[in-house]
Amino acid sequence: MISQQLNDSITRVGPDSAAGAVLRCYWQPAALIEELEYQNPAPVNLLGERLALWRDDTGSFVLAARKAEAGEPSVYHPGPEQIEAEPGGAVYPVVEKKGVVFAYLGDGPVPEFPNLDCFRADDSHVFAFKGLWECNWLQALEIGIDPAHASFLHRFLEDEDPDEGYGKQFRDQVANTNIPMTRVLREFPRPQIEVDETNYGLKITALRHLENGQTHVRVTNQIFPEAICIPMSREMTITQWHVPVDDETCYWMTMFTSFRDPVNKALMREQRLEEHVLPTYAPLKHKGNHYGYDPKEQESVTYTGMGLDINVHDQWAVEGMGAIQDRTQEHLGRSDVAIIRYRRMLREAIAALDRGDRDALPMQGEETSGIIGPLSNDTIAPTANWSGASREADLERRSGCPWDASV
Amino acid sequence: MKDTPIPRTIVIEGTGPWLRLGPVEMLEIVRPVVPVELNGQRLVLFRDDDGKMGLIGRQCPHRGADLCYGRLEDNGLRCPFHGWHFDRTGQCVEQPAEPEGSQMWKAIKVPMIPVQVRDGVIWANLGEVS
Repeated sequence: MISQQLNDSITRVGPDSAAGAVLRCYWQPAALIEELEYQNPAPVNLLGERLALWRDDTGSFVLAARKAEAGEPSVYHPGPEQIEAEPGGAVYPVVEKKGVVFAYLGDGPVPEFPNLDCFRADDSHVFAFKGLWECNWLQALEIGIDPAHASFLHRFLEDEDPDEGYGKQFRDQVANTNIPMTRVLREFPRPQIEVDETNYGLKITALRHLENGQTHVRVTNQIFPEAICIPMSREMTITQWHVPVDDETCYWMTMFTSFRDPVNKALMREQRLEEHVLPTYAPLKHKGNHYGYDPKEQESVTYTGMGLDINVHDQWAVEGMGAIQDRTQEHLGRSDVAIIRYRRMLREAIAALDRGDRDALPMQGEETSGIIGPLSNDTIAPTANWSGASREADLERRSGCPWDASV
Repeated sequence: MKDTPIPRTIVIEGTGPWLRLGPVEMLEIVRPVVPVELNGQRLVLFRDDDGKMGLIGRQCPHRGADLCYGRLEDNGLRCPFHGWHFDRTGQCVEQPAEPEGSQMWKAIKVPMIPVQVRDGVIWANLGEVS
């Protein structure tokens, strides 16, 4: 449990807030390029600010404050003719990366980008999409740095054919085995969780000790301040920001990155458009329709009864906590070790900004562009050498890759 | 009573000590789990495998997930987020993601309000809130 004051400090994102000041030290994924294909200018609601993004006559992106009425709903989406720039309002730097427009809303020097796999892969190997969650960004992030929940929330009571699982999380088989990922998660629900602080955030390793001296090793990452990088299948990783619209709404913005083969973008897009409404990217399943909950399905097919899309399970979990999770009532356990470590990093960053020491935050210096990777994979390894085997499996995957994935 | 996936929330205000929640038939549904709001407090009413009722806090005390969507099994209600399991008194009885041998569950309890059936009506007793 934490105090209400601390909960406010680590969750609220407006221009004068503590966590908002930390987020404003980093590039934020503001929009998908495709949003400008639907309308130019397009509204961008980010960190409690009402902005508009457009391409000017020279083809350059402009992101600037727009006129908005007080009390405008979080996901209000005015058409192009209703968007008017605020005279004398803020104008922010923007950079396009692989179909995503990143914006920098802070003061002071504009930081470097880390050279993450999602940024350095060829365009053909990265697909970006986003979706709306009606809750605070921090609870959305925290579910992504909680390796234990997958054994419950995403439990499939039966295994599917992994060949049907392209573009979906947890539907592949594990490493070079014929064991479905769904089975590993279901049968080994108490992972041993190791957390290491890194120069980009946290490396989180979940160890599930199987029979015969074998261990399933799943490495995921927290990328400071609000992203994660996790494996999706043997072929792809997910780099996902939980970017605040305001205190009570956020988008997940994901860059799916493929190592060997180009991403089948048409299929990835089609799968996700079936679950979302444009132009707000609001999910079709939501609180209002009980996330498609079916008690019969919960008895025999999935742990939640909310279908096979794990994104919906996560959305239910985080939205059901309320607009901002009441952390004065929570009881964290050992399985929450990465969340505890992350909050410590965030509090340290808030304290550093309070004393004017921005350089104490991760990825603020020149060395940031030298950060590559990170390692993010599932493997089955001899228990005695799980760490080395995990690294070797990652290197092997990277060596067969047409873009420079070297680490 | 019409069997929707999650029944409409029963909203009750009053000083008690006994407050009428509704007819006993409201739990005669395929999955007897009903959200209740009692003087603003978010609760969930369910019937366990013993046929007994529990009226307990709606948010899981772990990270706040919504127990109205819990798995009604093993004589209690289980949170779908990490499998924490609660009996009808609100006591946590299992935390299956915590390390083997962990005793943390013993110290975890959600609020519970006693309920009784009299003459076919379910009553909550605000005088004995735990």
